[in-house]
Amino acid sequence: MTSNFSVHVTFVSEKINKIRWRPDSYNDCHFFVTGSVDNTENNLKLWDFCENVDEDDICPFLVHNLPYCGDVTEVKFINSDFFVSSSSSGSVHLTRIIPLYSENTSMKNEIEWSKIHQFKNGDVSPCTSVTVYDSDIVSVGEDGSINLLNAKSSKVLRKLEGADSSSIQCVIFLKHNEILTSNLRGQMKIWDLKQQNNKPVSTFMMSGDHLTPTCLTYHPTQRHIVLTGDDLGALTTWDLRQHNYPINVLNAHEGAISEIQFNSEYPDQLFSCSSAGEIWNWNIKGDTTPTLLSNNIESNVWLAPEVKNKLEVFTLMPALGKPINSLDLNRNKVICGSDNEAIYLINNNK
Amino acid sequence: MCEAQEINAEHKDLIHDVAYDYYGRRMATCSSDHYVKVWDQNSEGKWILTSSWKAHSGSVWKVTWAHPEFGQVLATSSFDRTAAVWEEIVGELPGPGERGTRHWVRRTNLVDSRTSVTDVKFGPKSQGLQLATCSAEGTIRIYEAPDVMNLSQWTLQHEIQCKLPCSCLTWNPSLNRLHPQMIAVGSDDPNPTNGGKVFVYEYNENSRRWIKLETISSLVDPVHDIAFSPNLGRSYHVLAVGTKDVKILNLTPVDDEQSAQSGVTKLDIETIAQFEDHNSLVWRVCWNLNGNVLCSTGDDGSVRMFKMNAINSWKPVAVLKGDSAQLSHAQYNSISITNGSTSIPFSQTARYIKLGSISQSRETPWH
Amino acid sequence: MESQVKTFLIPNDLCKRAGVAGTWASLENVAVFAYEKRNISQKDEPSHFASNDPSSVFLLRQDVILFHPILRKLVNESNGVFLSVQNVATNKNSDTKFELFKISRQYRSIIRACLENLQDEHTKSHENDEKSMLQNYITIFYSIECIWHLCEILFMDTMQGNFVLSQLLEWVNFHFPEYERNAANMLAENEIGLEEKPEYWDTVLGALLQGRIKLVRSLLKRHSSSDSSAFVLIEQALKSMPTFNGSCGSSLNEFNMQRRHWIMDVQSKIDAKMFSTEKHLDLIMRLTVGEEKAWIEVQDKCDVWYAYLAGWLFFTEPTVKSFELGRFAKRAMTKLRMNEHLRQLDKILLAAMEFDVFQVIKEIQHMYDNGWFVSHLTDLLYHCDRLSDLEKEVSDFSAEKLRESFVIDYGCTLMSHKSLWQVGLTYLDCCPNDGLRVIELILPRIHMETEAKAQKIVREAKNRELTQVVQSVCKVQGMLSMRRGRLGNALSWALKSQDGSFTSFLADKFLKNYLKLGKFDSPDILDDLGSGMLLSDRLIFLGKYYEFHKLYQNGDYKEASTLLISLLASKIIPKYFWYVLLIESIPLLESDELLFSSNATFTIMRCLEEKQTEPELKDKIDILRLALARNLSRALTYEAQNIS
Repeated sequence: MTSNFSVHVTFVSEKINKIRWRPDSYNDCHFFVTGSVDNTENNLKLWDFCENVDEDDICPFLVHNLPYCGDVTEVKFINSDFFVSSSSSGSVHLTRIIPLYSENTSMKNEIEWSKIHQFKNGDVSPCTSVTVYDSDIVSVGEDGSINLLNAKSSKVLRKLEGADSSSIQCVIFLKHNEILTSNLRGQMKIWDLKQQNNKPVSTFMMSGDHLTPTCLTYHPTQRHIVLTGDDLGALTTWDLRQHNYPINVLNAHEGAISEIQFNSEYPDQLFSCSSAGEIWNWNIKGDTTPTLLSNNIESNVWLAPEVKNKLEVFTLMPALGKPINSLDLNRNKVICGSDNEAIYLINNNK
Repeated sequence: MCEAQEINAEHKDLIHDVAYDYYGRRMATCSSDHYVKVWDQNSEGKWILTSSWKAHSGSVWKVTWAHPEFGQVLATSSFDRTAAVWEEIVGELPGPGERGTRHWVRRTNLVDSRTSVTDVKFGPKSQGLQLATCSAEGTIRIYEAPDVMNLSQWTLQHEIQCKLPCSCLTWNPSLNRLHPQMIAVGSDDPNPTNGGKVFVYEYNENSRRWIKLETISSLVDPVHDIAFSPNLGRSYHVLAVGTKDVKILNLTPVDDEQSAQSGVTKLDIETIAQFEDHNSLVWRVCWNLNGNVLCSTGDDGSVRMFKMNAINSWKPVAVLKGDSAQLSHAQYNSISITNGSTSIPFSQTARYIKLGSISQSRETPWH
Repeated sequence: MESQVKTFLIPNDLCKRAGVAGTWASLENVAVFAYEKRNISQKDEPSHFASNDPSSVFLLRQDVILFHPILRKLVNESNGVFLSVQNVATNKNSDTKFELFKISRQYRSIIRACLENLQDEHTKSHENDEKSMLQNYITIFYSIECIWHLCEILFMDTMQGNFVLSQLLEWVNFHFPEYERNAANMLAENEIGLEEKPEYWDTVLGALLQGRIKLVRSLLKRHSSSDSSAFVLIEQALKSMPTFNGSCGSSLNEFNMQRRHWIMDVQSKIDAKMFSTEKHLDLIMRLTVGEEKAWIEVQDKCDVWYAYLAGWLFFTEPTVKSFELGRFAKRAMTKLRMNEHLRQLDKILLAAMEFDVFQVIKEIQHMYDNGWFVSHLTDLLYHCDRLSDLEKEVSDFSAEKLRESFVIDYGCTLMSHKSLWQVGLTYLDCCPNDGLRVIELILPRIHMETEAKAQKIVREAKNRELTQVVQSVCKVQGMLSMRRGRLGNALSWALKSQDGSFTSFLADKFLKNYLKLGKFDSPDILDDLGSGMLLSDRLIFLGKYYEFHKLYQNGDYKEASTLLISLLASKIIPKYFWYVLLIESIPLLESDELLFSSNATFTIMRCLEEKQTEPELKDKIDILRLALARNLSRALTYEAQNIS
């Protein structure tokens, strides 16, 4: 199914691994940040997508380019002025967007936690992901280590050295003291950051053998509901209150799911993109009032046994054929970045 | 429209061989100075010397990499009558922040030859870990590491007597697991009356022996190098030979009753290209990855490239030669492979020289 | 295809003196070093080049202009169009021809956008080197645009009756738009007396030669003496000039008759010197009737020969058919006396007008654009079925092979780039003969700095069912993890690679580490081996033993002992591990609770008899025998009591 979306493509001469709207207190973002991958010189870029009502042709305007050491593996905003990024060179950066509202907006690295992921033989270990909760930051890497950082300190507050014997690929905060990680082997682990024993509180497996989760997210209003995307394109729902087995498995995309994101304003809406170049919008069928549904714990559709029949999927644009690595949404505007060295702005003109 | 990065190889004498690993990111060199050196390309594109060791007690003729599935493994052959297999070891886990010490350990020393070991090549990885050597006394030896995870145990599986001194050998890199293994060997015996100088052998599963399929009688001049082309699933094999000129041969297995009965392949051999561009002896031949460009080295001191075009005919496309002209500073063109963070000093970045060229105004892509 | 040999010089003295040797370094790079062949029969001594002046290796790479950021946009965008060509070609229907024609225009609009970007950058740039480089690119892509456009008109457009002139004029106009632009600027000023402007007459003539009669008339009306008789006459003449609307049949004859009348009329007026008061007007009219002398007068005013050609055809051969174009083109070149100094572009355009597609392709493959043009245009011409005729004309020629060889070369060039390798893959995918084999050779050789990239490569290999590539990449990642001291991760990759011997090797490492340290490395991985365990006996043993180890530690002695017996009865225990199992049976044998039946005890005893010479058992063998004897008596007693 396709809906009424307008798509604007901009070729940017580099593959985009991460793309994030800069949050805005008026909820009217037009700035966004991209992080590149596989470039001879990677970078973080700040863009302005000013929409000109008169002109049909809207294109993002490059505001600032910040060279970056290694592939950008994650970008997460703490607030509208600060964001955290992780690098394949094993480092984590806290970057500030300055000044707030002026012509010469630019970016500046405030803190660099340099090479905090490293293998024992001295090889650089890519930092694969980073997640934030207020000013708390957690980074994970191929070295299986977990680092606790805080935006107010340039020190590593705590390091869980070799916490996982496989590469950790994804991490999200569940509570202020609790994180969920997933590794190459398909194991998901919950860690209590207050415990000092470097052991996960619990471990559970993706269904099936050898499935590797490629992205994690939690439900915006019910954090115990977690969705994972995997390298075969399936979406799996977990209820962390009973997490030994998945609640639902939806075979969705053709390729690996790169990112999934709930619409925080309308939790019944979910967006996902894949390595096959698909970008989808999932909606709950019917005219049920969304807010009512999602607040009612027992009737959360993602926990329903026949979830497949309760959802409908819209493709936001024809499949690109190259991986879409990242997406972000704000109100009715979706941006995504792809391995065809382009970024897309999709306006949902409902 | 071609640029070069100079890597000062630090050998005290001429280099006999340069070999790149599977990814083209590591380089091994060997020289008359008995040393082998290994270079790694860093993320900025610059080549850094990471190991250098005295590998033999004579000139080191050849160096070659094993497939990375077997780890970081090199083989060398030398005037000192030996061939050796080397593995890179990462030192026992140093403290955090320190770089692990790396060094190359001699895993085995193959001492069966009574004369200079002139060539050494790893077999196709589909057959496990195999190594072939050839030597001046005219013996081809096939070694195998039965446990691919244990490089210190090699067994001499086969010895093939070739009657003429061997100068070079090549494995057929067929991707097809069903093809029997094939080796071609060249001899630099100077006497034309001794007959053909290229021999093709095939491993026969039934007799568990290497069987000579062919002596290529059309090649009676000394052969200095030989190379099978990467096989793109073709039914025939392509062989490049460096002799008094550059020759490209097609070896086509013939499906006849006789070969079906005996289980021994019969080859139909045809010379499909011949280049006298070097106007001199040809020392080396080397194929690109997909086998459509051949690179040859001649006694005229130049390197020449030949490319196959769409109608399967081969044409010379480029010549590379030394030029004593000193570089003016302006010719140095430091390319923008600088790193994002400012902490990387300039010396870390790769420098490229734009190469001068003589010829027509029009460019011929040589790749 | 012809090719020319180009010589590159390595600026190095030693290379000059000794000569050089070369070897391939990677997909697109060649390494060159100073070299002298040593004869192995010589004495092994330092060569006369031996010195402390160290020799160098030169790593050569081709300067690929497509990797410039601006051109990378072209590479990515045109990839999308290329893929839609393949799509259209595989789903052929009656519209295919038109679809391909539209696609050709898409390609051209991408080139146009690229040229505009290059122009912008050129204007912004202040560095001389960069400026001249950009100017170079502009020249290259300008030529490409010009040739592509002509090829589109001649080879892809579906013209009625092959009347080509209006498209030809459009083509000239597109590439030399300045007359039209100047005219528009002048007319916009809304003034009379435009002849005051220095470029007035050039613009009028330029517009005339491009067949823009209406524009010429508008310009002439703004001449201050446009009321004079000569101007009025010319206005009448131009207004009544018959124009060809491109249809054939009766209207063609009608048109030709009208034209002959019109020319006679104008010629008589010229002969009556009715325009001689104004030399420009006289020239214009003499041109319109095709007077040889007049055309000689203007030939210097023409930017290029093909602009001259189009103008001349407009006034003398308006119904020219496309297949006659070559003849007229040659004639125009002779007139302009430029046969001796044809530029590359001229030769290609001429070849196109002569419908010599083969020659066009031959020539454009030598352009400096790293094969972008030749691969995309050849592909399109192939799918437009424009190459099949050549198969009859040229021996040994296969249109499919020609297309494929260019597409493969282009794909390989992109595969050599750190970022564009995925784009390269899609080109190789469209080569039915060798594409997949080339992918199989090149894909696993892409350098992987991160597991994320390794996973992308694995995915691409899986999509193409290149199982061996998948396994190989996973194995290499496993080896790398092992080097990094990450055994658990190495095992994860080994399981993905399905490599039995590698998993056995790793399982041995786990077991030996356990023997050394008394605890297991990476227990989290061992917890969840799942069915992956079945890959090798050694791994099964590791998994089972680890299970035993856990049961034992948790105090589940009953289950632990059952597992122990089944392990001992199996044939998968590594030699170096026998003694461990035997020794670990002691506490279970001595446990308060009876754990082993008499049969089970016999099993242990049999194993002990077999393995009693193991040196590690030496100290324990007596204790073990005693424990076995005691357990056996307990078991027999118990079993006897419980029989009834």
